[in-house]
Amino acid sequence: MADLLNNLGLGFSVALGLQNIALCFLGCLVGTLIGVLPGVGPIATIAMLLPITFGLDPVGALIMLAGIYYGAQYGGSTTAILVNIPGEATSVVTTLDGHQMARQGKAGIALGTAAIASFFAGTVATLLIAALGAPLTKLALIFGPAEYFALMVMGLAFAVVLAHGSVLKAVAMILVGVLFAVVGTDLETGQERMTFGFSFLTDGVDFSVLAMGLFGIAEILRNLDQTETRDVVRERIGRLLPGLADLKQALPATLRGTAIGATLGILPGNGAVLGPFAAYTIEKKIAKDPRRFGRGAIEGVAGPESANNAGAQTAFIPLLTLGIPPNAVMALMVGAMTIHGIIPGPGVMTKSPDLFWGMIASMWIGNLMLLVINLPLVGVWVRLLKVPYRLMFPAILMFCSVGIYSINSVPTDVMLIGFFGLMGYLLIKFGFEPAPLLLGFVLGKLMEEYLRRSLTLSRGDPMVFLERPVSAVLFIIAFAILAAALLPSLRKSRDEVFTEA
Amino acid sequence: MDAPLDGTSSRRGPVRAPQSLVAGLGLIGLGLFGIWAGSDLDYGSLRVIGPGLMPFWLSVGVGLCGLALAISGFTHDGAPLQAFTLRGPVVITLAIIAFAVTIRPFAIGGITTPGLGLIVAGPLAIIIAGYAGTEARFLELLTLALFLTAGCMLLFGDMLNLPIPIFPTAVVQAMTGVLPARTMLRIAAGALALAGLGLLLVQRRSSRREPIEVARHSLTT
Repeated sequence: MADLLNNLGLGFSVALGLQNIALCFLGCLVGTLIGVLPGVGPIATIAMLLPITFGLDPVGALIMLAGIYYGAQYGGSTTAILVNIPGEATSVVTTLDGHQMARQGKAGIALGTAAIASFFAGTVATLLIAALGAPLTKLALIFGPAEYFALMVMGLAFAVVLAHGSVLKAVAMILVGVLFAVVGTDLETGQERMTFGFSFLTDGVDFSVLAMGLFGIAEILRNLDQTETRDVVRERIGRLLPGLADLKQALPATLRGTAIGATLGILPGNGAVLGPFAAYTIEKKIAKDPRRFGRGAIEGVAGPESANNAGAQTAFIPLLTLGIPPNAVMALMVGAMTIHGIIPGPGVMTKSPDLFWGMIASMWIGNLMLLVINLPLVGVWVRLLKVPYRLMFPAILMFCSVGIYSINSVPTDVMLIGFFGLMGYLLIKFGFEPAPLLLGFVLGKLMEEYLRRSLTLSRGDPMVFLERPVSAVLFIIAFAILAAALLPSLRKSRDEVFTEA
Repeated sequence: MDAPLDGTSSRRGPVRAPQSLVAGLGLIGLGLFGIWAGSDLDYGSLRVIGPGLMPFWLSVGVGLCGLALAISGFTHDGAPLQAFTLRGPVVITLAIIAFAVTIRPFAIGGITTPGLGLIVAGPLAIIIAGYAGTEARFLELLTLALFLTAGCMLLFGDMLNLPIPIFPTAVVQAMTGVLPARTMLRIAAGALALAGLGLLLVQRRSSRREPIEVARHSLTT
């Protein structure tokens, strides 16, 4: 306990430095600003803003990126409530009751509830990360390459189960992602793999290029196909702070949502995405009058929003302690850390405690800032929501191009985001989800390395994965959930959770 | 991914889920392509895994997924093929390429494009991209381009100091020693923003005469 307080003290001393506070603020603000634009989710936002953080020191850069992430998340909820367009998968549920509240002239209360529930969840999640960080890091230190490999397989298995739509398509996307990861020079032999003699592929496919193409450009193409039906609330925003009665109603939902979201968020393989859905389903099940849901029930905003934010934050746990990104956003964080020369994993905490704890402390500060800056700025966000898409997408496109060019200063990177954009567009058109691909891509590089290392250590005996108890258990879990996902009955209930509403 | 677009017309008949079938065929294609592309690599042994092992088995995996998906197109009912529009993808790709080849000198074959810098590449990309939508209006896009380019120049070039060429190489050479790069950047950004403001005013004035236009001009709201 004393350790924890000491560590948090160190964290706050880092995060409360003038520069870091400013960066955290800036990150939250810019993140919300971009995230609030309809059709721009957190992944695209972070990918777009990644270059902005390059000039900073690693601590500042990560604090700002984390701020951007929360900001984008929060912006997604704002669009969900005000325009009925979820900024990303996890705020889909918020549209159900949040937008109804907005139509009833209670937009302000819905936004306020979302902000307060998120802040509460964020606070709990921050404490959880701080408490679990040290023990999990110790656990990670006894992990050998075989265990790491098994853990990543399990993460990918979870990602398959938790992806929307066909299991087969999710598996295919992950495999394609891993396949992309092996393009480029092989680290062990120095041989070029599948580069076709193109010099820009020698170093492999750049992560930010792939992310920006799949999530920035592809999203533009997809939105261009849809004729715009934006249902911006014309009612007054109304009072922002929920009253005592509202709070009383929202509190239990917030508590449950936080618990659900935080637990699911720790799961490798994008557990966080399930949080809001599960929270909503539970709220609806235990409500005295389930018919209120879908018609502006405040619990339907508080529960999913707290689950969303708690999950968004506890997703940092596998990344910071084990070095394994559980979802696409965390995969972007890996990219950002690597650019700053930090290898995510158990070493971060011991080698640079100021970064580790500073980032954790800044999470809480970021949540507080969101609460403070967003509510008064609601009017600005509403105005932003009215920017027509015909002006927005050229701006997004230019920002992506400038951003990606400034990373490596090579024009082919810019062309590649176009290529991956087209690919992402095709994927969406054929019912594939691009997020598992990105996760597979990031884990792919690590997986091959660990696979090779563990087989070298075992002198080529593949049984090593089953002989070591930890890795055996992880493999069994992975196969069990994959098998379960293929069972018809479970598949049905999984579909139900996602289509609830 | 090179997903073939054939099979569009097979609505009836044995194909029950055209989307799965075509997606599956695309994955099979990608898998075969992967196997071919990695065929020159050494597989190695389990003890010392060669560079070719992972690519080979991954490609096989992708291909098998594709096969299963394609078969499921015959056995399960599923979504039809979605409608495609070519305008968006083509125009957006053009805009991106335009940006890539003008931002700095770029050699394609024997031809090298002149490096024009952000001040040209930016507006070019925005204006071309704007025509990907059906409601593009030139003046509006030009205004947007002027403001955004000015903003990006200040943000990326001045504040963040990122190594992005701002001006055409010829201009940079001519102005070396005459004006510090940063001053030049600020002057140019200011000029762009002023031009944008001017355009905005002009559009406002003309829109005042046509009351219908006012509602549509959301750039100013």
